[in-house]
Amino acid sequence: MDPRFTELLAPFLKFLGDEEITAETSLREQGLDSMQAIELLFAIEDTFAVVLPDEAMNDATFATAGSLWNAISAASEAGQEASVR
Amino acid sequence: MNAIASERAVVAGPPEPGRLAGLTDRVAAVAAEHLDRTDRDAVFPVEALDEMRRTGLLGLLVPVEYGGLGGGLRDMIEACVSLGRVDLSVAMIFSMHCQQVAAVVEHGDERLRTELLPRIADGKIYVASVTTEAGKGGHLLTSEAALDTTGDELDVDRFAPIVTGGAHADGFLVTMLAPGATSPHQVSLVYAHRDQLVVEQTGDWQPLGMRASHSVALRLRGRVPEHHVVGGQGDFRAIVTSVFGPMAHLGWSASWLGTAAGALSRVVRMLRSPENRNRVDLGSELLLTRLSQARRRLDTVHALLTQTERTVSRSPDLSLPRIQLQLNALKITAAEECFAVVDGLIEAVGMRHGYLKGSPTRLEHALRDLRSASLNYSNDRLHLADGKLALLDPEVRFV
Repeated sequence: MDPRFTELLAPFLKFLGDEEITAETSLREQGLDSMQAIELLFAIEDTFAVVLPDEAMNDATFATAGSLWNAISAASEAGQEASVR
Repeated sequence: MNAIASERAVVAGPPEPGRLAGLTDRVAAVAAEHLDRTDRDAVFPVEALDEMRRTGLLGLLVPVEYGGLGGGLRDMIEACVSLGRVDLSVAMIFSMHCQQVAAVVEHGDERLRTELLPRIADGKIYVASVTTEAGKGGHLLTSEAALDTTGDELDVDRFAPIVTGGAHADGFLVTMLAPGATSPHQVSLVYAHRDQLVVEQTGDWQPLGMRASHSVALRLRGRVPEHHVVGGQGDFRAIVTSVFGPMAHLGWSASWLGTAAGALSRVVRMLRSPENRNRVDLGSELLLTRLSQARRRLDTVHALLTQTERTVSRSPDLSLPRIQLQLNALKITAAEECFAVVDGLIEAVGMRHGYLKGSPTRLEHALRDLRSASLNYSNDRLHLADGKLALLDPEVRFV
């Protein structure tokens, strides 16, 4: 996971304490609630210049840091492929 | 994942057509006999619950292999509408019980299912829901009281300000913090049988409406074995998305629709009765317009209810914003429109048959009961969630 991603994620995980964010970190358990999903999404779009597709806006994507990072990576690759074409 | 899709009904086979209607009619008849008293005295409809036990209706959603009726979502909706036509408290009690049963069917440990489901099907166990907690303002997904582990058992110690049917339930599904939780979001759902608990009832129940739902404050203390955790420890959210949320919104909306439909039905019957036909001007444009409004509202809610049931049954992932939005739209719309139906009917028929107790229209009772609809998981809170969800769906796609 990109360090910019974990840095961006940290303020949303108020129960994480001193623990490190890993791919397995549960976003919901560590404090992300559905009301903050939109703020997190804006932060991701601004930092990585990607737009996550509507189909990715589900519980599975927002389950762990790893699942969210995978969705960002997939969206970013899809974006690059589109610009190469 | 959506766990309450109709696959269970496919395995078990839905109850034969007509059979379910016969069973709900029996319960409705008993409810009708007692509703004036249970409303007046704000007491639980014990007789109607006993009939649900006898008819096997408590086991509507229990699969046939566990001795239940093997019904599905649509069967539950139909039963809620039928019961709601007579008494909203009875319909809501039934709908909330079904919600608990579905959670055990879909997420319970096989050992718990084997122990519990046949007894529910047998009418021995009515399950109440303990999700409210003082100090969390109706938030479903957080908890403050924590489970403790002692050996292989879990300690339960929980106060809940509102437990519908709590004084009469044979078992409870309780939300609590998972053992060792580091955040209030790690919520677990546990089943506790009444004889595993010391149940203390506190306070009085004197509400405006829903008086027969007897929703009292309870303190529950006791120990339950570890296999009573429904779903994974800390994984209550998955149960809410797949079962609790959709079942609640569909079951409540169906119950409210039933009550509003029952009110219109009784008003129309009264207007058409031989003794009234000459007294009331059925050509009155104002009366016709008001009847039209009431009927239009009911058809709107019915259409949305039918569509949402279809969405829930067919969608593998209910967490998508457009699906959550439809489920919330159903709840908000049903709550507002069903209340408005009865409010409008009171204007239509006036003081004697609209506002006073004792009229065969029972509009006064229905209005008080339906006033709770917007508060029963607050519409205000759902609007806030919907605003955020709308921002997550910029293409505005529908299901």
